[in-house]
Amino acid sequence: MAVKILFANDGIKEVDAVGMCVGELLKKLGLLVEEYIVVVNGRVVTEDYVLRDGDEVKLYPVVSGG
Amino acid sequence: MARCSLCDRPAVYLSKAGGKAYCEHHFLRYFDRKARRTIRRYCMFRERENIVVAVSGGKDSLALLHYLYRLSRRVPGWRIMALLIDEGIKGYREITIKDFLRVANELGVEYRIVRFKDEFGYTLDEIIEIGRKRGLPYQPCSYCGVFRRYLLNKAAREMGGTVLATAHNLDDIVQTYLLNIIQNNWDKIPKLAPVSKGPSHPRFIRRVKPFYEILEKETTLYAILNNLYPEFIECPYAVHSVRWSIRRHINELEEKHPGTKYSLLRSLLRIIEILDRYGYGGEGEIGTCSICGEPAAHDICRACLFRRELGILDNR
Repeated sequence: MAVKILFANDGIKEVDAVGMCVGELLKKLGLLVEEYIVVVNGRVVTEDYVLRDGDEVKLYPVVSGG
Repeated sequence: MARCSLCDRPAVYLSKAGGKAYCEHHFLRYFDRKARRTIRRYCMFRERENIVVAVSGGKDSLALLHYLYRLSRRVPGWRIMALLIDEGIKGYREITIKDFLRVANELGVEYRIVRFKDEFGYTLDEIIEIGRKRGLPYQPCSYCGVFRRYLLNKAAREMGGTVLATAHNLDDIVQTYLLNIIQNNWDKIPKLAPVSKGPSHPRFIRRVKPFYEILEKETTLYAILNNLYPEFIECPYAVHSVRWSIRRHINELEEKHPGTKYSLLRSLLRIIEILDRYGYGGEGEIGTCSICGEPAAHDICRACLFRRELGILDNR
């Protein structure tokens, strides 16, 4: 029962977040909703999307330092 | 999952300040209306305009290039060109140039790449090294900012540009506003206006910020939806300075109190008005650099001053 999280810097993490919404997942990771666009299984979702087993979550940072 | 307030399709964006959800189609329409309203409200472009878009290869500037290019197809008097300044930052700039070229070629937009190496004889990496050896007190971002602004103005003019568009968004603007308040830099605040008419100098190109009222989250989503989001890479010289803390605080405030950023922008516009009334408008006459002939606040422009201190004035 896990979702796979792909970070922009190529990092991958498996997290037990099934049943959580995207906003809660970001909070759990110490991230702000304001600072990420979240794509689940190739589709942009809003923070109230509820995660399911096997979902692939990609986090696109809104802020960058360059 | 949230549904679009306008058509009930799955939402891709929640505008908490506006109290609405948007699907992909309606988000892009909302984005377009907001950008066009900004352009109109601040009289950014005239009927006939050669618009040079300053592009770094990052998501915001690629989004601006894509947006203005598409918009220009509806305006017969507008010509769009892209300008990228290659400072010569190893392991960074060559990657963002690749992203830039992909988008520029897909759009079929005219472009120019101007290199520090060709203009000044040295890359930014080399300039920083020379500065260190000479014991100069400047940070990498100081050289980069001064030389980049100098070349943007010069190259835009040489390209026949009548206006230079940069991709500063609402987040960038309000962060800089707070930074300037904290550092007591009131003279820098008028430069945060949506249109910098700048000093009256025949060689100065007017600057505009078409994403002035658009949140960074919105420009990022626009980039993702249009397949423009580049490979994620950070400038090796980026320092996690006070700006990073300010950004985090503003974003936390925005999450708790949606609308904070718009409110800060309104505060900035009011302050610019007040400063203008007291003669801090940033307009008026300006001199000419006695070395290179470009606009300068003093006898010598900042770029030539830096080059003189670095001992690289003869390498032009």
